Amino acid sequence: MRALVIDDSRAMRRIVTGILTGFGYEVRDAEHGRAALDVLDEGWLPDLATIDWNMPVMDGLQFVSVVRANPAWRAMTMMMVTSESEHTQIVRALAAGAHEYVIKPFTADAIRDKLALLGLLPQEVAL
Amino acid sequence: MTTTDTGERRRASDTRPVITDLIDEATVESIAAEAWVALVGEDEVLVPLPGDLPADILSSWVDVVGPWTGSVVLTTGRATAEELSRALLREHAPEVLDDEDVADAFGEIANVVGGNVKAALPGPSALSLPQVGNAPLVRNQADVCRLDVLWRGEPVAISVQGALPPLPGSTPTRKNEVS
Repeated sequence: MRALVIDDSRAMRRIVTGILTGFGYEVRDAEHGRAALDVLDEGWLPDLATIDWNMPVMDGLQFVSVVRANPAWRAMTMMMVTSESEHTQIVRALAAGAHEYVIKPFTADAIRDKLALLGLLPQEVAL
Repeated sequence: MTTTDTGERRRASDTRPVITDLIDEATVESIAAEAWVALVGEDEVLVPLPGDLPADILSSWVDVVGPWTGSVVLTTGRATAEELSRALLREHAPEVLDDEDVADAFGEIANVVGGNVKAALPGPSALSLPQVGNAPLVRNQADVCRLDVLWRGEPVAISVQGALPPLPGSTPTRKNEVS
């Protein structure tokens, strides 16, 4: 399976990439929503995108909206991974088309549980 | 009878909350402790004791703009910021951490703590991207909730501080002691 990790923090990209690689994912990353769209435009379509909210150039909510408007990218599951933890923000993201929401700080177990709920946890990864 | 407006009276719109009306040290400590355990490591504890910050310090912060406007600022010694960054990255850390790695990782810790502080405040509020460098000045000493902790024996100051000067007739400003 493929994942696209979108976060302006290099540290957070490394951490999320490490977790997903450990689950058997092939991972690419992008430092903001616009760079992530460039990856999709190349034709590299992931099963999962993890998306930070506050990023320069194009934020996570804008990215979700653009992806949702393109039927060719409909199969991609979008999981917000962000420090925006207010209920209203969660509702906004889900309304825009995100499938799941993980609040920073998180643990690898939290990511694993969300992926299991989404049916995106490779079978060889034990729960 | 004619009355003179001496400026003593205040309209309702002149009032605004200070941070100590909205959040207390225990809440900030709880948020920081959770962030530390998740980001830095399961065994990493923050001990709520003050310590003397060294001369060479670094701050990271995010701004909150909303009904309360200010910054959530982390300040520690530069060497401790580097150690924190390495702890955050764990096995993903490069052999040599450059300044950009430290700024990025230390900024992300402020982002996580700040995001959760924002959630505890009245909204709606917006959160800025993290910044790293010399902390913003404290413009109203009454609008500060500061927590001093030790991490691995090194001092870390976590300050939730208003960005606005005091209203006329209230506490005078003074410079931030940690910057």
